[in-house]
Amino acid sequence: MMSLYGVQLECLISVWGILILLVDAFKPIANKRAVGYLAAGFVAVALLYSFAIQPVNETFFHGMFRLDPFALYFKRLFLLALAAVLLMAAEFSPRIESGVTEFYALLMFCAVGMLLIASVNDFILLFVSLELVTITFYVLASYLRRQVPSLEAGTKYLILGALSSGFTVYGIAYIFGTTGTTNFDKLAEILHSQTGAPSSAFVFGMLLVLTGLGFKIASVPFQVWAPDVYQGAPTPVTAFLAVGSKAAGFALLLRVLYTGLLPVSLSWNALIAVLAGATLLYGNLGAIPQHNIKRLLGYSSIGHAGYMLMGVAAVNALGAGAVLFYLGQYAFTNLCAFLAIIAATAATGSDEIPSFSGLGKRSPILGLALFLSMMSLAGIPPLSGFFGKFQLFAAVVQRAQTDSSYYVLAAIGAVTVVISLYFYLGVGRAIYLQEAEDATPIAVSKPMRFGLIVCMAAMIGIGIFQRPLVNASIMAAKVFSLH
Amino acid sequence: MSELLTIAVLLPLIAAFVLFLFPAKNPKAIRAVAIFATGVSLLLTLTLFANFDRTQSGYQFVHSIPWLPSYGCSLKFGVDGISMTLLLLVGFVSFCGAFVSNEIHEREKEYYILFLALTTGISGTFCTMDLFFFYFFYEMAVIPMYLLIGMWGSLPPGKHGRTKEYATMKLTLYLTAGAVLALIGLLGIYFVGGTLDIERLQHTIWLARGTQLWAFPCLLFGFGFLASLWPFHTWSPLGYAAAPTAASMMHAGVLKKLGAYGIIRLALPLLPEGARHWANLLAILACFNILYAGWAALTQKDWKFVIGYSSVSHMGYVFLGIATLNVVGVSGAVLLMFAHGVMAALTFALIGFFYHQTHNRYVPDLSGLARKIPFIGVCMVMAVMASSGLPGFANFASEVLVFLGSWQQGSTLFRVATICAVWGIVVTATYLLRAVRTSFFGPFDEKWSMLKDAATFKQKFPYALLLAVLLTVGFYPRVLTDIIKQSVATSIVSRFSTGNEANAASAVAANNGGPTP
Repeated sequence: MMSLYGVQLECLISVWGILILLVDAFKPIANKRAVGYLAAGFVAVALLYSFAIQPVNETFFHGMFRLDPFALYFKRLFLLALAAVLLMAAEFSPRIESGVTEFYALLMFCAVGMLLIASVNDFILLFVSLELVTITFYVLASYLRRQVPSLEAGTKYLILGALSSGFTVYGIAYIFGTTGTTNFDKLAEILHSQTGAPSSAFVFGMLLVLTGLGFKIASVPFQVWAPDVYQGAPTPVTAFLAVGSKAAGFALLLRVLYTGLLPVSLSWNALIAVLAGATLLYGNLGAIPQHNIKRLLGYSSIGHAGYMLMGVAAVNALGAGAVLFYLGQYAFTNLCAFLAIIAATAATGSDEIPSFSGLGKRSPILGLALFLSMMSLAGIPPLSGFFGKFQLFAAVVQRAQTDSSYYVLAAIGAVTVVISLYFYLGVGRAIYLQEAEDATPIAVSKPMRFGLIVCMAAMIGIGIFQRPLVNASIMAAKVFSLH
Repeated sequence: MSELLTIAVLLPLIAAFVLFLFPAKNPKAIRAVAIFATGVSLLLTLTLFANFDRTQSGYQFVHSIPWLPSYGCSLKFGVDGISMTLLLLVGFVSFCGAFVSNEIHEREKEYYILFLALTTGISGTFCTMDLFFFYFFYEMAVIPMYLLIGMWGSLPPGKHGRTKEYATMKLTLYLTAGAVLALIGLLGIYFVGGTLDIERLQHTIWLARGTQLWAFPCLLFGFGFLASLWPFHTWSPLGYAAAPTAASMMHAGVLKKLGAYGIIRLALPLLPEGARHWANLLAILACFNILYAGWAALTQKDWKFVIGYSSVSHMGYVFLGIATLNVVGVSGAVLLMFAHGVMAALTFALIGFFYHQTHNRYVPDLSGLARKIPFIGVCMVMAVMASSGLPGFANFASEVLVFLGSWQQGSTLFRVATICAVWGIVVTATYLLRAVRTSFFGPFDEKWSMLKDAATFKQKFPYALLLAVLLTVGFYPRVLTDIIKQSVATSIVSRFSTGNEANAASAVAANNGGPTP
């Protein structure tokens, strides 16, 4: 019974997903859009309910599963993302040829995998939950099966994803082979008691696991898939990749590096710092020539993985909290951007940035939402992205007090902030500075309007009153014994 | 009293939020709200100024709201003689800027929201006593500035071959590049010094020499980008030329002063050893500012470019004053920031007035305008005289202080720099008087016969107000110099006197725990 307390959110979402499938199978529902709104509403209720769940100290399922503040922080984040993505899917449903209900259900199953990821405390559960997420994404990315870009996205994600899964499981085998355990806590104990450097077979296994996780968060050198998949996949799926999958990757990365492998990662931070710098440069430089907004956001998501890796590389309490804060505000910001993109492309039928020209006049709310989210991604106050970046830079500079080479990382971060402002303002220029060829107003549905207002309020609210989210992220980051 | 300062700073932002909920159909009401908010803010600032204790040198009207305990950060406002002076400047310029914005006839709602947000960003930076909020308000100007220029600006085609989109993008990127550079220096100060409280950093903490030496150029060049330090000034004339009147007034008048303020408020007192190390370089760059930009202004034909380069050139005097590191020079720099702010705002407002009617600001095309618009002509002549440093205007007093301070500094380099700076005045007078002579006097061109002068009191008011400020401070500079000098002496220059390090060293030992996030 006690174990069920731990997985109640996972059960809730799975049951609801299966229910939707069953009802639709026996008694087809005509109004697919309403089902989507209903599902989103249900998930929003589950999100509210999650605040009633208290974190517990002990583990579940023989030490495999945790329900600590860190896990709950991420579970709330994933539920938020799922609610918004279901709302997007409902808006997007007219563009899906068949299997709309299955689309909703797959999104929910995918989210269940993410909810599990938040609690992972064992390499076996890590692999299972990671596969649950990745395999549903193979299907979701190629859902528009008559459109070549969508199929291309699905295939690319499948090939690279399968490869990286292979690396992960191979690495797990090495770690198990050298230490005799897959449990993070036991692993940390063993590594602590070891004197001298860990064996090269163990390090090899660790690097292979990091390869798999690097694929999830789209960090250099495993980033090539991101722009293509972001561009080709149906837009709600892209949003879920950007918000959910990215956060799941970071949840795992933090868990693995800061609990199981903490003794080792303290000496491997240079590797992560180099990857962070390379990811920052690749993502932000690659975004400059893009003219498709989804592709631009694909590159931008690589860039943001770089910013967050800055916090991971700092290996201090400030950095861990900063990554968590960043992911929290990044969810609102990106969801806002994708909501606006879905509503705008429904009218214009194009993802190209010039087709957003004059959006500020055609629909003031969509223009404002997209503009604010771009500015938040660029990290301009008073929006939430600013404080996220501020904390990450603070973490790196704090680390630089003991290791001055970190100033180089901070400098790369600073340069890329300016670069990123250039291409984000490129979108802003289309919205406000350029005139639309076809100036007919764009209608925005009520649920969409609601979602946009919530996200905008959160971006501005978190940007000015940072304290609640900062406290939550610090609480969550306390599960790691960092200083 | 202390809440009044916080209200004066935040009122424009609150008004912006109120306007957000306003229907866009009623531009008159929107404009009224904006003028009301900036006007009340100005009145509050004047009340504070009247109640300012002129015998005290420290921060006054301090009001603090705890914000982020985990960083030790609080929303803390307070003013000393330096920031009081500059807060007055923001008050006057933003009020007059809102007044002359009647040339805006489309999307008024968005315009005034951005204008008000910009105002709070600037006055917040001048008044905050917390490093985090200093940066927060400083960067807040980015979005309003980009949109104000991009949406309501205009850039006539010329030899520069640029569009207003290019100008606004360049300005925004330069501003941000400087800001992130400064951010790294500020974070370094935070982690070494252990607190975000500017007052504590100023008085009780002495950073290690190594930190000071690398952090100072981060702050100097970071803030220097915004203050158009040569060679990072190229965004500035182009940006002003493309901006709508009120935005150029705000930018040349006050936003640019933020950069110099950052150097005076943070870089000098927090990093005195760094300042001493880099002062000579700053003096040399200042000469480039004065002479190079002055020479560039000589060749300009567009009124806004003339004034744009002129303002870059004037910032050179501010930098020279800062580089002297003595009371006279730094006080002169602060007073010049005020005087030049008012003067630049006035000039841009006047250009906006006739450009709105002529749609032409190309100097050779304009001729004899003073016949049709005598009031504007007279104001322009006065502004130009102020700018060239004629006695009777605030600029004269401040420039004299800068020259005295620079001469007093004593080294050969500064003596040479003083001579260059004095020569700069001649250059300034040349290009400004020539531009005024060509476009306002000389034979009257019939194609400008449709021009209308500022006739009613309402129309004349903003120009008259700015002129009155210039003349008042010009005839009685002590109204500002007394409070400026006191604060400069105790909170900035005292950090350069010897023996300070030993005192502060013991203080830093007690504080060596670093921040506890």
